[in-house]
Amino acid sequence: MTGLPDDYFVYPKRGRGMDHDRYPYRILPRTKAVQWPGGARIALWVAVHAGHFPMDMPLKPFTAPGGMERPYPSFWDFTQRDYGNRIGIYRLMQAMGSRGVKGTALISAMLAREYPVLMDDIAKAGWEPACAGLDMAHLHHGGIAEADERAWIALATSLLRGRFGDAVQGWHSPAHSESHRTPDIVAGAGYAWTSGWLNDDMPYAFATEAGTLTAMPLPQDLADQRMLHQQNMATEDFVNAVLAAHAALDAEAEATGSGRILTVSVTPWLMGQPHRIRAFGAMLDAILARGSVWSATGSEIMQAWRAQQG
Amino acid sequence: MLKTPGHYDFMPWRRRPRITWPNGARIAFWVAPNIEHYEYDPPPNARRMPWPRPVPDVSGYSWRDYGNRAGFWRMADVMARHGVRGSVSLNVAVCDHYPEIVERCCELGWELFSHGTYNTRYFYGMTEEQQRAVIRENRETILRASGQSMDGWLTPAISNDETTQHILAEEGILYTLDLLHDDQPTPIRTRGGQRLVSIPYSLEVNDVPLFVMRNTPPDRYAAICKAQFDLLYEEGAESGTVMCLPIHPYLIGQPHRIAALGEVLRHVTGHDKVWLATGREIARHYIDHHLAAHEAWIAEGTP
Repeated sequence: MTGLPDDYFVYPKRGRGMDHDRYPYRILPRTKAVQWPGGARIALWVAVHAGHFPMDMPLKPFTAPGGMERPYPSFWDFTQRDYGNRIGIYRLMQAMGSRGVKGTALISAMLAREYPVLMDDIAKAGWEPACAGLDMAHLHHGGIAEADERAWIALATSLLRGRFGDAVQGWHSPAHSESHRTPDIVAGAGYAWTSGWLNDDMPYAFATEAGTLTAMPLPQDLADQRMLHQQNMATEDFVNAVLAAHAALDAEAEATGSGRILTVSVTPWLMGQPHRIRAFGAMLDAILARGSVWSATGSEIMQAWRAQQG
Repeated sequence: MLKTPGHYDFMPWRRRPRITWPNGARIAFWVAPNIEHYEYDPPPNARRMPWPRPVPDVSGYSWRDYGNRAGFWRMADVMARHGVRGSVSLNVAVCDHYPEIVERCCELGWELFSHGTYNTRYFYGMTEEQQRAVIRENRETILRASGQSMDGWLTPAISNDETTQHILAEEGILYTLDLLHDDQPTPIRTRGGQRLVSIPYSLEVNDVPLFVMRNTPPDRYAAICKAQFDLLYEEGAESGTVMCLPIHPYLIGQPHRIAALGEVLRHVTGHDKVWLATGREIARHYIDHHLAAHEAWIAEGTP
């Protein structure tokens, strides 16, 4: 028996802190306290995934969550998702707008070309536009050539900035997937924040070759896409989980004197369904009823956080 | 290839020599937080790729990283509030990467045992000498970081190879968690006859299978864990049982789930005939008081 090669027992990164150079280790309860505007305990960040899922999207090296699940040409999968950009997102706008809740749309940039009217309506709703790559057929991962990745980010950025200008400050890597260099290219394209990493409840500084991004907390575990679609849970399970997160974060904010962020990650083709939208509204009501909530966009939260660092 | 592990004899659940726990407890309840580091860019292993997506698997890596930055601290506070110690299934490189975590565990009086070096370095395909070298290095690291002896073992990702249990016994490990065959401690047969016992771990009330594979919402998780406890508590009136609650900070330590852990611990500690133990304490008690009787009963053909 030859066993494993010698280098399997070599640990070049075994030492203090992380095994990469993007950020230092940070302990949440020992993090500098942050105060939100108005002394709110909770910053409520509703992140809406306005995704475009081309029917011919590649399914290798892995299928993006929410990707095509049936053989090509799956009108079933395509139209079920496209429903979100035609119908569901408008229900979310109504449910949020009527309650004074702001949003950040994480937009597949191809939608700026496909559905320019939707872009107008996102602007009218007062939502922050953020870039979620070109579309769900263009996943950033370790197997993508650098020239391709640079071209995708440049095109996605020009499509969204062409419509919204400098309001486009945030980048969300589709499917929370990145190559080693994605953050460097994203920072080089002028973005201020990114939400692909799932490792914190509070913002932190994320180092790149082109300056520092602010990493914003956007959970994957507590997202309607994962819970309702991938995990087949009930609407009530998602709502209850969000409210449980709110209760825990609110108590933590009270105990520590530091604001916390409740990120609500929702998908128009799921949460915008007729049978779910009232539960979504009731969930927002319950969040607002607890009080001490500051509804804000990702960029507003980032700015408030940044202003209290250093 | 082996047809069966070959490490234990058939021991029917009824008629076993009775197990008693300290102070008349019916159940030994122990919590095993898995404190892990999954590497950003780990080496490949022929039997299992460390990440499902091409490296860097940002979603997988950063999800685990959440446990060490946020989840662990929340989880440890809840356990401390309920007076429940942990027996840490530790990727020992955590001692080097995040010494603050190990300090907090020691401050709370928790036991540390080895869960390998990293959760991305599998035992699949190692020679016996390679396994032995890792076990020895892990023991030194735990001793250096905490002053504790490394008495327990859970192979990283339960990636043990055919000979791992034999080697654990030969290296002086007291208890293994790689086998899921029982609700009580049992003897483990080894090729050289060195002593090794198995104490119950769990993949039934383990938060990874429940939250990640079986899509369990937090309130159902609490209900399942409480049901598991209630039955083992009831059966423990006849002969002492063990319940292990294995948890992972990156899952149970999330804001939407942390209350469920509190609910389970409140339920367990609300019963009077519970021994809140560590893995080492359970293994030692079993070895000192019951192992010989079990071995004799097995030798007689479990009459």
